[in-house]
Amino acid sequence: MLETRGLTRTFGETRAVTDVDLTVPTGSMTGFVGGNGAGKTTTMRMIMGILAPTAGDVLWQGRPVTAAERARFGYMPEERGLYPKQPVLRQLVYLGRLHGLTAAGAKRTALEHLERFGLADRSDVKLETLSLGNQQRVQIAAAVMAQPIALILDEPFSGLDPKAVDAMADLLREHAARGVPVLFSSHQLDLVERLCDHLVVLAKGAVVAHGSVDELRHRGRLLHRLVVDGDAGWVRDVDGVSVLDVDGGTAVLELVAHDASDRILREALRRGSVRELSALVPTLSDIYREVTA
Amino acid sequence: MTTSPTTSRTGSTSTTTTSTARTTLPTGGGLVRDDERATGQSLWLVVAGREMLVKLTDKNFIISTAVTLAFLAGSLGLQALIGGGSNKVTIAVAGPQSRQVIEQVGRNAEQRDQPMQLTITDSPDAAAVTAAVRGKSAEVGLVHDGDAWRLVGLSTPATGLTASVREAVQQQVLGANAAAAGTTVDVLTRGSTVDVAALDPNDDPGLRYAVGFVFAFLFYLASLLFGMTIASSVVEEKQSRVVEILVTAIPLRQLLLGKVAGNTLLALAQMVVFVGVGLIGLSFSSYSSFLPAIASASGWFLIFFVAGFVALACLWAVAGSLATRNEDLQSTTPALTTILVVAMMVGLVGEGAVRTVGSYIPVISTVAMPMRLFTGDAAWWEPVVSLLITLVFAAFAVVVGERLYARSVLQTQRRMTIREAMRAGD
Repeated sequence: MLETRGLTRTFGETRAVTDVDLTVPTGSMTGFVGGNGAGKTTTMRMIMGILAPTAGDVLWQGRPVTAAERARFGYMPEERGLYPKQPVLRQLVYLGRLHGLTAAGAKRTALEHLERFGLADRSDVKLETLSLGNQQRVQIAAAVMAQPIALILDEPFSGLDPKAVDAMADLLREHAARGVPVLFSSHQLDLVERLCDHLVVLAKGAVVAHGSVDELRHRGRLLHRLVVDGDAGWVRDVDGVSVLDVDGGTAVLELVAHDASDRILREALRRGSVRELSALVPTLSDIYREVTA
Repeated sequence: MTTSPTTSRTGSTSTTTTSTARTTLPTGGGLVRDDERATGQSLWLVVAGREMLVKLTDKNFIISTAVTLAFLAGSLGLQALIGGGSNKVTIAVAGPQSRQVIEQVGRNAEQRDQPMQLTITDSPDAAAVTAAVRGKSAEVGLVHDGDAWRLVGLSTPATGLTASVREAVQQQVLGANAAAAGTTVDVLTRGSTVDVAALDPNDDPGLRYAVGFVFAFLFYLASLLFGMTIASSVVEEKQSRVVEILVTAIPLRQLLLGKVAGNTLLALAQMVVFVGVGLIGLSFSSYSSFLPAIASASGWFLIFFVAGFVALACLWAVAGSLATRNEDLQSTTPALTTILVVAMMVGLVGEGAVRTVGSYIPVISTVAMPMRLFTGDAAWWEPVVSLLITLVFAAFAVVVGERLYARSVLQTQRRMTIREAMRAGD
């Protein structure tokens, strides 16, 4: 399990990240969302030790992370980072060796990953001759090839086509499935919703929401939508119901009393037909807008 | 909070998303086998290995090294060709006495350790000898005409050859005359030998300048080439952000150490090859008698070169880390190139006190001290003291360089100044 406790970073007078507590449970995919300048990259750089925190700690399995443990984290920086003018395989082998693999071991795993990404026949070309999407595949291979104990990925899906997104998502799930905590940032909320078990929302350098996706969905009031024939204004008079909005035959309600739904339905049926009575589960975008507002 | 060992593989928190994941990681679950984990490997060696591999597979480096080698070998070969040309002569002779004289010329040359390649062609008479020279089938001809000897050439024969022939004729005639007088040549020439004694055998101004030029040139060339290599290597990693991945895997000190070690080793290897080719070439030239003195000065030069290079290596890395793009190197490296130019100029044209002082200043001493050793005006302890000064400076430069490098290499926003790097906290 990877955690941060009170992680804070200031640049001169500016507070980029304030008191961030986050938890990436073992074997979970945790999405890290927030607008531009919210502090996601700064937080990730502090987790990786590239940036020293002004205050706070990064914990691995409950204890402050050591350099040796960090060396086994897989990391994908926001601005990418490989040698543009070096052959693909050679630099993967180099990075693998720096992450503690033997030369032979690094070559084997590098080739396997290139094979998986369909880049085996491009292993000897310079990285810069590959398309951006393929360069990103090599980048992710660099992050995962040494069998990391944790994965910290800054915007791993940006710039990928839908097929590549799926392939990348599969790869990350496989690593999560073998018990690795995976933290990744993304602007694509639908993607985060689809992939993540956990979510951390950052706004203006502080955590504004965190937990499992289900927890976040149900943390607020549970709203329902009622659609009837004719005007629905009568719902305001039903006991145990708090009405948020009525628009013609459609009303958005909070069912406060235990038996409110029965009463609403009975009254509606007495007046005509009921087209719909459904729970309004907020999308991640709704939650995001709500917590960052 | 529960803590579990790092080997924990629990997937208990996984939800439907993870449980449906395919397990198709590359072979064997994509897992790294235990025997594929290197234990106790020195990461700086991995870095050094890469630095060298990149350089050795760099076309520009291979070409520039080959061109320099060709230039060295070519200039030495040319000298050998010019020198060797005069040793190869075809001589037309008429009569056995003339033949004996020329054979004596060959023996004398061999005794002096400067063998000549003499081709002797026999002609029936003096007219035929003259015709052979005129027809260019022989370069010179030797004719014995009664009491007189005549050396015939199209133009005046080379002075060296003329002297050799004159000497051989005198030996022959002297021997014959001595025998006729009932004595020997040794008796007649006793007490007449003149030996040459050079009090300062290395004081050949032309050679001194040539050796100084070669040292200064090689020093400047290699320091600049490999110094810029270190700076570009640092800025390349910074520009491409790969440094962010590197620092998560390896301490910055090891990264820097690997770069410095790899490039120093390559610079030394290249220098050894250049100096070696130079010395081999020299041994075939007419300056071969200077070989011991030049070889000893070259040995010191290599030692000083390594110390001087290491002293600047970390500062080259700083020049790279202050930049954010390759173009910035133009504004972060001039201080270092200026040092190299000064070192080269002092070694090349510095005389007397300037060179003596220079031979104790780190980096500048790389050229100045070996030059003083070559010309014999440095006592045995002077290079030792100078080298110690350079090593102390190198240690200081490495510490300062490492600190500045660590402070600036992760600042990717814009080019930094030295002052900013000194002030930066982390």
